Amino acid sequence: MVNDVTNIAYLIVALPVLAFVLTLAFGKKLPSGGGYIPILAIALSCIISIMAFLQIRETGMPIEISSHWFAVLNVGIFIDPLASVMLLMVSFVSLLIHIYAIGYMAHDPAKPRYFAETALFTAAMLGVVLADNILQFFVAWEIVGLCSYLLIGFWNHKPTAAAAGKKAFLTTRVGDVLFMAGIVILFFNMREHVLPHISGQEEVYLLQFKTIFENIALIPSQQLTLITLLFFGGAVGKSGQFPLHVWLPDAMEGPTTVSALIHAATMVTAGVYLVARTFPMFIAAPDSLMVVAYVGGFTALFASTMGLVMNDIKRVLAFSTISQLGYMMLALGMGAVIGAEAVGFAMFHLINHAFFKACLFLCAGSVIHSTGTNDLREMGGLFSKMKITGITMLFASLALAGIGIPFLKILDTPIGTSGFVSKDAIIVEGTYVFAHLSHNWIPFAFGVIAALLTAIYTFRLWFMAFTGKPRQERHPHESPFTMTGVLSVLAAFAMVFGMLTFLPFLEFVGHTYDHEEIHHLAVLGENTIIDHHELHHIVGEASPIIFLLPVVVGVGGLLLSWVIYNRRWISVASIGNWKNPIFAVIARRYYQHEIFIELIALKFTYGVLALSAEFIDRRIVDGIIDGISDFVVGAADIVKKVQSGVVQNYATATVAGVALLGLILTFLSITEVI
Amino acid sequence: MLPISYFLIVSAIVFCIGVYGVMTLRSGIMIMMCVELMINSANVNLVAFSSHFGQINGQVFALFCIALAAAEAAIGFAILMSIFRSNKNINIDNLNILRW
Repeated sequence: MVNDVTNIAYLIVALPVLAFVLTLAFGKKLPSGGGYIPILAIALSCIISIMAFLQIRETGMPIEISSHWFAVLNVGIFIDPLASVMLLMVSFVSLLIHIYAIGYMAHDPAKPRYFAETALFTAAMLGVVLADNILQFFVAWEIVGLCSYLLIGFWNHKPTAAAAGKKAFLTTRVGDVLFMAGIVILFFNMREHVLPHISGQEEVYLLQFKTIFENIALIPSQQLTLITLLFFGGAVGKSGQFPLHVWLPDAMEGPTTVSALIHAATMVTAGVYLVARTFPMFIAAPDSLMVVAYVGGFTALFASTMGLVMNDIKRVLAFSTISQLGYMMLALGMGAVIGAEAVGFAMFHLINHAFFKACLFLCAGSVIHSTGTNDLREMGGLFSKMKITGITMLFASLALAGIGIPFLKILDTPIGTSGFVSKDAIIVEGTYVFAHLSHNWIPFAFGVIAALLTAIYTFRLWFMAFTGKPRQERHPHESPFTMTGVLSVLAAFAMVFGMLTFLPFLEFVGHTYDHEEIHHLAVLGENTIIDHHELHHIVGEASPIIFLLPVVVGVGGLLLSWVIYNRRWISVASIGNWKNPIFAVIARRYYQHEIFIELIALKFTYGVLALSAEFIDRRIVDGIIDGISDFVVGAADIVKKVQSGVVQNYATATVAGVALLGLILTFLSITEVI
Repeated sequence: MLPISYFLIVSAIVFCIGVYGVMTLRSGIMIMMCVELMINSANVNLVAFSSHFGQINGQVFALFCIALAAAEAAIGFAILMSIFRSNKNINIDNLNILRW
């Protein structure tokens, strides 16, 4: 079938790349540091993404382009429903953030570099989404990592920013190495087990997603579990899951718009997308999916506790991102029971999260822009000065806390903020799944407690920043229209997007993977997939408390924050002091710094591994090389004395040589005669 | 007529004197003279064999050699002149800058 979008799909990535080059080259001579070029390019990408989305929805066929690269590898574009919703989200949110950045970065002297790097960042993320084979995916994934390093350390004159960039780069690198190991093992498995079956066919490429998914049955199941676990290791690094989440809070050193890009549109969602993209492989390896679920669930709770005690407005949001990504991973892990529907739940939360988290970050940026501080303790009473920012941030906070009206459904759609629709769907569905798997309620308790903590820290942030009396003498002012306009759009999406699109979204993304195929793959993993209606039937209709509790704790958290941080009926100091052991543990972030840096990095890695490696390298490896060269040099020192420079010596040597030759010849001729 | 071996022995003695001189003497001029000795000992050989075999070739060749020796002497002394200009002597032992 010939159509328009297929031919221009490459422009989705090419335009932001072009914008990167143009902004870098000519940004200094253009108004606003060339910021309008990326905006234009990403706007066009967004339009093409919308066209692609409409075409896929109409025809039900994915958009595929593929061309030969070398040997058994190809480059190509593959847009299925999953990729198309990602494309829409990435390009749209990124577009809004770029528009906002025109205002936010107005006073920064390095604007061309900023806009060039964010354009490349967006392009790389779009490249991740569009990739039709795992190698191309990995290349774009690495460019995302590079851009995150550049942008987190954007204010590179600040030592903390440079260190944060380095930390982000190295931490995600741990995940990337695992991911790459997974690709290598996958490639060898494909070559050994799959290539003999497909060698006759034309235009079949080993690392193409299509080829991999069609031939999963040929790969041994332990190998598949190993590969998927390694892939998940990559996702853990990029998406900030425990234990590689340490880079995300530090990533706040970059400009706030960069934080918004990293946390909402690009970077951290790449990990979730990786698992969703290679979902058929995970389905055939249910053990890996259980790992995904447990890591996600644990991260959701773990990160939300730390969000409670941070005083940096952006760090609160950073821990909230880690926590919400945990929910997404949890949702993907549920695929072990409900199959491809899990991808729908995870992606729906991912998209909703992108809107309200982008909004929260940009509101935080607006606050920082006007007060000049990140510290919540120095803010307060901003609402009267910054009404639009305050209201939009309140909306986004409501969405993050998941406030809504339970049980009330209009046209089968729950009524509430987008966070309510997507997060509660995950908690409720997760409850069913784990009730079916193990008949225990611990995961549900995890989800609910995390939801409670989420509500508390979100509103703690809002109340501390916007209500009460100003705690420091500052002169806040409302931000310019490019910023508040973007905030309003995002807040509107945060409020209503979930309600408007819940069921159509799940149905559309549900078409990404063929359901029979998924069932078939699950059988390979000695697992059975059940439809969620069936699941509800098997587990039995849950008590209304399950539906009620997430919202109740959300509202409860709101009220608790109101009591503590607005009314101040309970003194903050009575809970949050260093004598309280729980507070001390959480405020020290569970001694992660002590464990990761001082114990693992300094004592073990540096003290044991690095020093012993250095000894081997310096003394043994270098010793052998140095010994050989010393021997050669010493020998040459002796022999070189022959080269005296006096011509007569050479003449003597020549004569002596000729004489010797004459003697030998004579001797030989004599012996011959005899 | 003398036997050819007489000529060859004289020639060999002269050649050895030349070689010995080239290897041991220090003065550039003396070395040049020793080289001349070696060339001339070769000329003696050429003429002796020419006379012995009754052929004119050897004598013609000896003439060429004399011309060659003249040319060589001209170049050699020119080199020695320029050495003298820079070193104020023509002691070959001092010309050892092309060493290790």
